[in-house]
Amino acid sequence: MSKRKTIIMPCSGIGKVHGLIAREATYAAADMANAETLCLALLVSGDKDARAKIKDADCIAIDGCPKLCAAKNVEMAGGRVVKSVRVVDSFRGHRGAEPGTATALADDGWKIVREIAADIACGLGKSEVK
Amino acid sequence: MKRVVLPCNGLDKAFGVLSCELALKLCETNGAQIVCPVLLNNSPARYEKTLAESDLLVIDGCPTRCASKLANNLGLKVDDKILVSEQAKSSGLEIGDSLRPDPVGMQLVDMMINDLAARESDISTQELIPGDFESPVDFLSVTHDKFIFKIPSQGYLFSENDTWVRVIGSRARVGVTDFVQQNLTDITYFEPAQAGSQIEQFDEVGSLESGKSMTDVLSPVSGRIIAVNIRLADSPELVNEDPYGNGWIAEIELADFDSDKELLLDAQSYSRIVEKKAAEVQK
Repeated sequence: MSKRKTIIMPCSGIGKVHGLIAREATYAAADMANAETLCLALLVSGDKDARAKIKDADCIAIDGCPKLCAAKNVEMAGGRVVKSVRVVDSFRGHRGAEPGTATALADDGWKIVREIAADIACGLGKSEVK
Repeated sequence: MKRVVLPCNGLDKAFGVLSCELALKLCETNGAQIVCPVLLNNSPARYEKTLAESDLLVIDGCPTRCASKLANNLGLKVDDKILVSEQAKSSGLEIGDSLRPDPVGMQLVDMMINDLAARESDISTQELIPGDFESPVDFLSVTHDKFIFKIPSQGYLFSENDTWVRVIGSRARVGVTDFVQQNLTDITYFEPAQAGSQIEQFDEVGSLESGKSMTDVLSPVSGRIIAVNIRLADSPELVNEDPYGNGWIAEIELADFDSDKELLLDAQSYSRIVEKKAAEVQK
């Protein structure tokens, strides 16, 4: 397993439920896997420290929509994306799900959050995820 | 005008999280539209129309000011700015490190929303009430060839860009000097800046157009535009008739006058600049 630090980064999706799921999944996965997070806007605005940080890390990008802002911008900044998650793909297993709104997730939304986070944590060798 | 909000949407700092909460609450309660910072950076054309038709509020969580940097890099016109960490400091609220907004964090969000509403109300009122500024009575005169350029001898400071500022308390009125109005000749059109916008020293605070040329008016001071001289929309000739009085351009709530002052000139110093410029113009 890589000894590089892991940084989990969601897109900055805001105003849509998919963006909120990406954000919550990032928090949950970071907690489970004891990983770090980083503001995507900080990276995009050209912050040198942020760029240096991702160059020494394995990055996991969680994007709300197929535009893949997180994955693309991490790569453009010289980062290595070891896993790219699309929240929209997670909905395929939840036909008819009602995830909530851009400001508050409903039960279905939280369920998807937990699934994404667990998948990421397991991939990082955190098998004790419940 | 409709408001659009560009939050830093910071993820890993409490102030960034609160910038996101503030943006979402403005969206819910005031019908503001949110601009995603990263999508804006990747696809600016996507928001071009929205930004052209709306007032832009930029919300930064921490002093790194990512949202402001993005706006600046893209050359966006920013009408208002909020720095959440500064708001927390000035309100005396202790915001912890938690990335889950607690009641204190949400109290700060509510305070910022109320403050924004008060600012809007303040602007609409102040546009109707002229400040307590009187026209000058004593002038220095710079004579060059057949021209005489007047410069108020007291109470005014000047920039090398030929603008003036008169300060009363924390408020300032700004305008162009006699030298500008004489060079432009008959002014036919005035384009004001947006009331409520935050400007830095030497940012545009409006523009003037005559049959001869057009000039951007660069503010000699930084701060927030709290009033524009709406009379100039119908009567731009007031700038020709009374550049230091009724022809004022804007009023500014000062942000850092002590620093701005270092780059400003008194009447004597400015008169020497006018002498040089008048000689240049004649060449």
